[in-house]
Amino acid sequence: MASLSRLTRKTLTTHRHLLSRALATEAVAVKQSPPPPSSVKITENPDRVKWDYRGQRKIIPLGQWLPKIAVDAYVAPNVVLAGQVNVLDGSSVWNGAVLRGDLNKITVGFCSNVQEKCVVHAAWSSPTGLPAETMIERFVTVGAYCLLRSCTIEPECIIGQHSILMEGSLVETHSILEAGSVLPPGRRIPTGELWAGNPAKFVRKLTHEETLEIPKLAVAINDLSKEYFNEYLPYSTIYLEVEKMMKSHGISI
Amino acid sequence: MGTLGRAIYLVGSWIRVAGQTVDRVGCTLQGSHLFQEQVSRHRTLMNLFDKDPVIDKDAFVAPGASVIGDVQVGCGSSIWYGCVLRGDVNSISVGSGTNIQDNALVHVAKSNISGNVMPTTIGNNVTVGHGAVLHGCTVEDEAFVGMGATLLDGAHVEKNAMVAAGALVRQNTRIPFGEVWGGNPAKFMRKLTEEEIAFISQSATNYTNLAMVHAAENAKGFEEIELEKALRKKFARKDEEYDSMIGVVRETPVELTLPDNILPDKAQKTAA
Repeated sequence: MASLSRLTRKTLTTHRHLLSRALATEAVAVKQSPPPPSSVKITENPDRVKWDYRGQRKIIPLGQWLPKIAVDAYVAPNVVLAGQVNVLDGSSVWNGAVLRGDLNKITVGFCSNVQEKCVVHAAWSSPTGLPAETMIERFVTVGAYCLLRSCTIEPECIIGQHSILMEGSLVETHSILEAGSVLPPGRRIPTGELWAGNPAKFVRKLTHEETLEIPKLAVAINDLSKEYFNEYLPYSTIYLEVEKMMKSHGISI
Repeated sequence: MGTLGRAIYLVGSWIRVAGQTVDRVGCTLQGSHLFQEQVSRHRTLMNLFDKDPVIDKDAFVAPGASVIGDVQVGCGSSIWYGCVLRGDVNSISVGSGTNIQDNALVHVAKSNISGNVMPTTIGNNVTVGHGAVLHGCTVEDEAFVGMGATLLDGAHVEKNAMVAAGALVRQNTRIPFGEVWGGNPAKFMRKLTEEEIAFISQSATNYTNLAMVHAAENAKGFEEIELEKALRKKFARKDEEYDSMIGVVRETPVELTLPDNILPDKAQKTAA
């Protein structure tokens, strides 16, 4: 009975599909579809892959540059590391982050973390005298949705969520950036201060207790990342699925 | 393949079966907490019914991006990692030489509500920075949308205008030619200098070149990747001083050299 109903549904849907498809083409023919606003002619590549069974590779080497991940660093499976990226030990990079070191080096230091959906990129050159590489030093917490570009973050800082650090900005030790702040190019945040706003402005000095809390937060996130790290086996078992898939399509392995 | 080889192959397959059995035993012990991994089901290009994305053959679309529905991407453009271009209720057209950088989102407003249709059009040689959100707006040629900027419905960025990083451009705002707007809500900040205007078009060209490298890297098959791994391992311990001391000249293999057009006025660096 169930199979029968499924069959009828199937035939109905395919028919509707065909019918609407025909109607759609007719409508288009009637409408004399307006030309696209762009004057350039788009030539499609028929071989363009619409679905890559491998998904997005996590580690993308460029030329001789191979992203390096320390053995006990946790990098989530859908992170993209491209080019000269160094994820040092104890650090964690969370889901959906993109670290693209194709123009310059990116370093995520000891016990630091780059949280969800961050983009870390490096520009060719920085407007200040600093090297144009992105340095995230030890015990730094970079909140979710941050955008970092060729900036240097010295040890033990907290960068709030959705902050934007532009070229050549420097966050010195024991500083905190509030959520949603924007650091314009070449801006420096001195030691032990709290900054906030767009563009970032000085709010107050941090107390000694607060500066002590900063590495504790980083360590707490490191502990959490350990749990995640233990969830993943060193080698995934997807190759079995792929072999099954190839078998079912009759491709020799 | 000799008889010995066949025997070894057979033994290997037995051991593999044993391994899979052990794996299954482990899975049953883990019980309901287990997550069985699947082949990636992420669709880079996805049609919605009859709306197909139209991508030029010279455009780079990262495998981790998703381009859905009625999207047109011109030649030399690049859609970077983690981008989402969702042309489901209306059309998105991206010109040629444009780059939409990582984790950006381009979406469209509902069509035909109160009569105004709002497709998203992005012109040629536009740079859209990381994490920008473009929603039903128009960006003309050679404009620059900075990192983390948000453009709401009906925003119109004219030619050579620039939206600074982290700006939020409210509905129906028009950003005139050659001005910089920033803040939340976006306000006029200053005029662009000639150098900056030149820099915008330069950055678009740089990105086109960079995208080619990434496209080549992402399109590689399994064998190629493995080959390069081996080559990299082989040449990792290359030290030029040592080589010159013992008088050998080692060439970096062709596969491991990047085209030098991505780094203007910068010599090709060797791996650190």
